[in-house]
Amino acid sequence: MFLRIEKGSAVPISRQIADQIATLCASGGLRPGERLPSVRELARELAVNQNTVLRVYERLCGDRLLEMRHGQGTFVSGRASKTRFAAHRARLIDELRQITRQAVGLGLSPDELHELLAEAADGVTPREPAAAIEEPKR
Amino acid sequence: MNELAIELQAVYKSFGRTEVLRGVTLQVARGKTFAFLGRNASGKTTTIRLLLGLLKRDDGATRVLGLDPQVEPLELRRRVGYLAEDQTMYGWMRVEEIVRFVAPFYPTWDHDLALKYLRDFELPLRTRIKHLSKGQNVRLGLVLALAHRPELVILDDPALGLDPIMRKQFNRDLITHLQCEGRTIFYSSHLLYEVEPVSDEVAILDQGRIVRQAETESLRRDVKQIILSCEAYLTIRQHLAVLDERDDGDRVAVNVERAQTAMQLIAREGIEHCVVDLNLDEIFEAYVAGRRGVTSAAQPQAELQPTC
Repeated sequence: MFLRIEKGSAVPISRQIADQIATLCASGGLRPGERLPSVRELARELAVNQNTVLRVYERLCGDRLLEMRHGQGTFVSGRASKTRFAAHRARLIDELRQITRQAVGLGLSPDELHELLAEAADGVTPREPAAAIEEPKR
Repeated sequence: MNELAIELQAVYKSFGRTEVLRGVTLQVARGKTFAFLGRNASGKTTTIRLLLGLLKRDDGATRVLGLDPQVEPLELRRRVGYLAEDQTMYGWMRVEEIVRFVAPFYPTWDHDLALKYLRDFELPLRTRIKHLSKGQNVRLGLVLALAHRPELVILDDPALGLDPIMRKQFNRDLITHLQCEGRTIFYSSHLLYEVEPVSDEVAILDQGRIVRQAETESLRRDVKQIILSCEAYLTIRQHLAVLDERDDGDRVAVNVERAQTAMQLIAREGIEHCVVDLNLDEIFEAYVAGRRGVTSAAQPQAELQPTC
């Protein structure tokens, strides 16, 4: 798992870590059932306070994105892919809003924006079935 | 057991006619990593020297690990690890010599632990201290401060003079060797972006007073910048905890404490605004160099005196 901490950023460290783990889970970079580094390991690796890492893990467990198994460590949750989908979807919509705002600021019309989005979608091949972002049917 | 590792209550200290500390009050809970922030000459080192009983306060109360540093300085220094800002060690001594030299001062000195730290920190045993790099020097200081397994470690600007790689390594050392063992760390710094990832709590010292003590994360939630029109601002200004304000003629960027309350108020009044997250540097600046004075307003401010 590769995470990047931007020091001096206006985004708090805990949110940087949480967002990156959530993104990895949603993109399949972290797969359901995969074990995360221990709080200590990650704290040391990132040179970040242990309590910060612990709080992030706890919060993501609360969001059902991760689960702590007693004595074994912290794992990507296998069951709650629905929550995962919802959380990632919300983030994606937020990002789209920001992009739209920028586009409007640049003077692009809604039609032009649609066209650009369609073009971008054409360039993307659908993901494999194993993709973590897929919404469960049942 | 006393839950506080450090407690200062309205501490005053002057040197001659210069008042350095003007009522410093702060508490550090056991097991926390506490960053003590301030500009140069704000009184950080004086505070630290008071904590160790190296200076006598003029007024107020100080407890460190439940002891008064002025009454029991020796007992205290046995239980505290201290890394001075300008730590000078005998340059002619070799690394292994100074370790053996310092050991007898501490009844709880753990020589195996000292050797382990020396290995972990990759310090050359046979090198003379005057030939060590700045980074190696700080690490040697840290070995000497830690090998008696102190409950509390006080570090005076340890990152001063270290390059970015060494600073990150130093932060890692703090996390691995101190936080993971549940010790209390009190360290001063003026490099805020270095402090933020590591510290549980911060206190900002300005002109001899603590202007804010808070958990690092809650501080960031609590202090925000709000941008709104001057006109609207002047109607609600007296209800905000303003640290700093700037205007460009018709709009004003104001840094406030208690941002949640401020935002609720602004939303209630239906004022158009936008909220900007601040980084720790900007928050620090708002506290120690905050400026107020929006054109066409001259209401007195009760929250904070203007600084500088």
